[in-house]
Amino acid sequence: MIDPIDAAIKIAGSGLETQSARLRIVAENLANAQSTGSAPGADPYARKTVTFESELDQATGANLVRIKRVGVDRTPFRVEHDPGSPAADSNGFVKFPNVELLVEMADLREANRSYEANLQVIKQTNSLSSMTIDLLRNSS
Amino acid sequence: MIPALSLASSLFGTSAVSQALPAAQQSAGVAAAGSDFGQVFAQVGEAINTLKTGESTAISGLQGQTSVQHVVESVMSAERSLQTAIAIRDKIVSAYQTISQMAI
Repeated sequence: MIDPIDAAIKIAGSGLETQSARLRIVAENLANAQSTGSAPGADPYARKTVTFESELDQATGANLVRIKRVGVDRTPFRVEHDPGSPAADSNGFVKFPNVELLVEMADLREANRSYEANLQVIKQTNSLSSMTIDLLRNSS
Repeated sequence: MIPALSLASSLFGTSAVSQALPAAQQSAGVAAAGSDFGQVFAQVGEAINTLKTGESTAISGLQGQTSVQHVVESVMSAERSLQTAIAIRDKIVSAYQTISQMAI
């Protein structure tokens, strides 16, 4: 029998780690929004996507969360006419990453909110736990 | 009641006495194990393991090998264990003092 308060903190901790991994993916997408391929006509950076899954923790029996898969967005690349670029193909077209700034910002905000929610769970649980321990201490 | 008290006091004194006393207790048929001061103290001492885990995670976090979240989680867990252990210790000590100051 594991302490549910311990389990709650562990679960929220896994949420924190997952959301920070998601933030990392968003950061990669944003940073590589202009990354073209190295060879003429080569594919540029493809936007990364992230999916989550529930993971049963054997020690506590709690459902943690983890990154299921970091995938690749298959939407077509943005094509621009820029014959001067080293990544331009024979017709002068350059493929740019399929990263949408607005989508990334929305994803960033969602990861941020989720992270805050998990932090709040940890904060509340910890405060409840110390309040319970204080009960033992002050009642003497 | 007297053997239990001297067992608790032996925690602060010689270990030989504390080893000898449980045997004497068993023969005397005194209360079940785990209910005396000495064993409660020993169980509280086991909480130290959580502290050690928190400590080592904090150090590996400082070296950049563990995520901040993990460090915070284990340090907080260690802190809770410590607070619980301290609260229980205070409780045991005050119970011991209450009994030792009892007029005979």
